[in-house]
Amino acid sequence: MNSTSISRIRTLAAHEYRAAVRSRILLTLLGILAVATIASVYVASVAHRSQVADYRAYKDAASASGLDRIAPSNLAPMSLLRGAFEYLQIIGAVIAVSLGYLTVQRERTNRTLPLLRSRPVTAGEQATGGLLGAAALLATIVAITAITGVICIGVIGNDWVTPSELLQLALAYLVSIVYMTGFYALGVFCSVRSRHAVNGLIAALCVLVLFVLVTPQIGDTLDADNQIPGGLFKALGMNRADETTILNHFNVYETLRTRIEWISFSQHYQRFVFAMADVKERYRPLGLGGLMTKVWTDLAWVFAAPAALIALQRRAVRTQPTMQEGATS
Amino acid sequence: MATSPAIEMQALEHRYNSDPVLRSIDLTIEHGEIFGFLGHNGAGKTTAVNILTTLITPTGGNARVCGFDVVRERAEVTRCIGYLPSEVRMYPHLTAVENLEFFARLSGVEQPRKAARDTLDYLECADLGDLRVGTFSSGMRQRVGIAQAILHQPRVLFLDEPTTGLDPMGVRQLRETILRLNADLQMTVFMNTHLLSEVAKVCTTIGVLSHGELIYKDSIEATVARFPDEATLEDIYARVDAATVGDLP
Repeated sequence: MNSTSISRIRTLAAHEYRAAVRSRILLTLLGILAVATIASVYVASVAHRSQVADYRAYKDAASASGLDRIAPSNLAPMSLLRGAFEYLQIIGAVIAVSLGYLTVQRERTNRTLPLLRSRPVTAGEQATGGLLGAAALLATIVAITAITGVICIGVIGNDWVTPSELLQLALAYLVSIVYMTGFYALGVFCSVRSRHAVNGLIAALCVLVLFVLVTPQIGDTLDADNQIPGGLFKALGMNRADETTILNHFNVYETLRTRIEWISFSQHYQRFVFAMADVKERYRPLGLGGLMTKVWTDLAWVFAAPAALIALQRRAVRTQPTMQEGATS
Repeated sequence: MATSPAIEMQALEHRYNSDPVLRSIDLTIEHGEIFGFLGHNGAGKTTAVNILTTLITPTGGNARVCGFDVVRERAEVTRCIGYLPSEVRMYPHLTAVENLEFFARLSGVEQPRKAARDTLDYLECADLGDLRVGTFSSGMRQRVGIAQAILHQPRVLFLDEPTTGLDPMGVRQLRETILRLNADLQMTVFMNTHLLSEVAKVCTTIGVLSHGELIYKDSIEATVARFPDEATLEDIYARVDAATVGDLP
């Protein structure tokens, strides 16, 4: 890739970014995401504030009474971002798909594709420029979400995240950008492949619902342990070994259930970011290295699925007809 | 590359599904010519322009622009051409200058913003520069469209029905622009059009396409001399279009 090619990609990326931020549909979706995120983190932070106050009061009282070993707090400020990550998982994916649709629809409505393609711009550069512009916009959204969340936790929750926690959060948000970029590629792919881009948008949203909502839900619903609140095996007073013995009798069923859950890269995204944000209590004692050994397969899925979708997007843009064949002669 | 013709088609064919749209076209246009491509609706004029501007791939034969093959050397071809589609729209949320700057950057023009303003100045429509294209009439859009086609100073300019949406003054201005581009920059112009009165005033050579076949090609002077009984180019065109190649004088 030479410098002129890089310059064209940069121009296309900046153009994509600029066009996207002027879209009313997109701004509306961003507004919904912002309100939902701020509300979620605010409510969680208010509750957290009183827990922090309680712990500090306990700590002061314990110190005053001469206790030299005070139990550490089990509060996890990063976990207050659980809702924010869930919104990125669902609304963020919808925004990314819509962004992909708008990229295709804009060129079709404005009939600018022939103007682009009659210049020294390759389809690969067009696809890469669009992708980078979209990724930059998604990164902006994620950065705003992240900064708002962390400030909310500090100011309202009265509990600032530590530098090592910030590193974990940065990783989680970086993966969020990759996750959403995958959905952008899906939006472009489906829209390019459809004669009417809006049909592609509908198809992409159906795929999104399947992977983000239906598949993980099937996996959860079919879990025997989830059949009663608190867990079936716990209610029956069984230990882990007995539970495993019983489940071994349903090996095929359990494998099927797990596989259904595993095909959702959205589920892997959730597992990864929840682990990084201390949402899962069992991961809290682990450092970053320990966490990565536990969730590396989820991370691999979160990178592999967008990579496949990006490959599809590039192929679709490459083979996209510039002119509607037969429309004019 | 000066020895190669500006445009060259050899046995050029194109089909949409199984319907032939262009049938074995052989045509050579030299540098500096202003070529008027005539033909009724559906004759295949736009398909020919789409092939020459690398937008579609021909199903047979070959075509070269500035000596470069339109299929195998697409990048080189796109560096030396400018293109104005029949109904130009551009990006409505951007101003004329922003639109032009974007296309100038993609064409590798140095100082793209200056090039955009200079081109609008050259076309005597600098007043449109800071207005959003979305607010333009079709005539204004067409003028900015011409600006995007020439701002990188291409050697060959393709105009597909350039008078679409223009009022009489706009048509006159376009004619003057084409003549200036040809005179100032020695730009070769390939123009699809229905406006025969304009062809007579602007073009140096004409070609007539009928049902995908090139049935006539000659200079304007030679054409007028060849049909001494016909008063206007319109009469000549009507006679050519109705005849077969063998019937022509």
